[in-house]
Amino acid sequence: MTLTTALIAGLVLGGTYALVAMGLTLQYGIARIMNLAYGDTIITAAFAAFILQGGLAVNPLLGLALVVPGGFLLSYLIYRLILSHLVARASDRGALEVDSILTTFGLLFVIQGVLLVLFGGNYTSYSFLNVAVDIMGAKVAANRLLALALALSIGLTLYLLLTRTRWGTALRAVAVAPQSAALVGIDVNRAAAFAFALGGGLAAAGGVVISMYQTFTATAGVVFTMKALIVVIMGGVGNLLGALCAGLLLGVVETLVSTYVDPGLTLAATYAIFLVVLLWRPQGLFGRVAR
Amino acid sequence: MLSLDEISVRYGKHLALDRVRLSVREGETVVILGANGAGKSSLLKAVAGLVRADPGGAVTFRGTSVSGLPAHRVLEAGMALVPEGRGIFADLTVEENLLLGAYARRARHGEGKMRELVLDLFPKLAERRRQIVGTMSGGEQQMVAIGRALMSAPDLLMLDEPSLGLAPVVVGELFEALARVRRTGVAILLVEQNVKASLALADRGYLMEVGRIVGEGSAAELRGDPAVQRAFLGLAS
Repeated sequence: MTLTTALIAGLVLGGTYALVAMGLTLQYGIARIMNLAYGDTIITAAFAAFILQGGLAVNPLLGLALVVPGGFLLSYLIYRLILSHLVARASDRGALEVDSILTTFGLLFVIQGVLLVLFGGNYTSYSFLNVAVDIMGAKVAANRLLALALALSIGLTLYLLLTRTRWGTALRAVAVAPQSAALVGIDVNRAAAFAFALGGGLAAAGGVVISMYQTFTATAGVVFTMKALIVVIMGGVGNLLGALCAGLLLGVVETLVSTYVDPGLTLAATYAIFLVVLLWRPQGLFGRVAR
Repeated sequence: MLSLDEISVRYGKHLALDRVRLSVREGETVVILGANGAGKSSLLKAVAGLVRADPGGAVTFRGTSVSGLPAHRVLEAGMALVPEGRGIFADLTVEENLLLGAYARRARHGEGKMRELVLDLFPKLAERRRQIVGTMSGGEQQMVAIGRALMSAPDLLMLDEPSLGLAPVVVGELFEALARVRRTGVAILLVEQNVKASLALADRGYLMEVGRIVGEGSAAELRGDPAVQRAFLGLAS
């Protein structure tokens, strides 16, 4: 593999990390739910894309239009039926964090169990746009380029929505000061449910994008949760641009390490960067110092 | 316009408000005076929907009950609170704070006009539109807080100790600004420690002690009341 090929592969992986991390940062920053079942939403969406492509011959791009609203709706229901009760009874943010971690940890195994029953534990993949494209002398699969383009355009759209519209500004206001948000007429509970659902929609988008170029298994959810969590913390909680940069960085480093050092050291490299960032800037690369 | 009947608020076993009765008329400016811990902030929070009052009391606004409504619906009904410590979005710009001020449905229709009025009242906000609010001075932040509350086109503006922590010169500017707000016809319910300035602004006032209303009168009466002078104006007899 040449350096260019490795860099492009790294950007593709990193773009995917950034995309899924944005969803997690919405759920954690605005809805204040630390969702350990997040990665399982991603994997569920990947399997949904697999069924649509393999069973019903629906191309994954069209699949996105079905799976993303599905992820949104499913997450909305999970929030309304389960998590909103935790929010209502939590005495403070710390209590909600503990409750939501325990609950979503359970949810992780429920979703994973269903996926294992339905699909078994084997690696799954499908072939889509598997043709080589020449970029500066490097051969890259078209599905990877599409994955990168999708991740970046979805991420950018979300960023613009959150920073350029009143609705998005209101969501950011809930993230930084929920009580003040209520005082300007924002229904904070509704905003939280919506942000959680939107995060689920992003997870679903991430799942479809991943399934276009990677193999996946029913038990891989936890890996994605961890990666997303690392990207969120590195980028600064609630910071979308931070998530984008941290995601790309992580993807590139992982790919370079597995190409030039040893594939077995990928996870070690991930955690090494994570540790360095945490020691050097505990608030994340782009996070503000807590006041 | 606003009336409170037998409103009590408890924090655990502590009774912060004890069967308070109070009213504000259309366009009127009313001040609540009292020492720290008298329950003034609890009173505003109970009206604004930030704390829950005991059942049995009633808050009525323009003929409809607003008891027990959550904060965002109290705002929709036409009452805006500038809380103690201002409650602005420090990480956002002046422009974004004003934009969110007009988030309420009731505010959308006349948003452009209200923005003109607010920028007219506080010209500094127009110059500083793109500044992050957290980097502004205390007085400027208070202007943002009041401007943001006005953007919701309230019929009643409630302010909790707006002069707290401001330099004397800035306090003067603040009360001048409130006098301009008053002239626009918005009713004001003000909680203040600065008795002299707030009685100069207000039409009427209430005195509070340990959770109860212990006196009321016109601003002129309260200025001449020996009890007020002793307790709050520092004119020891």
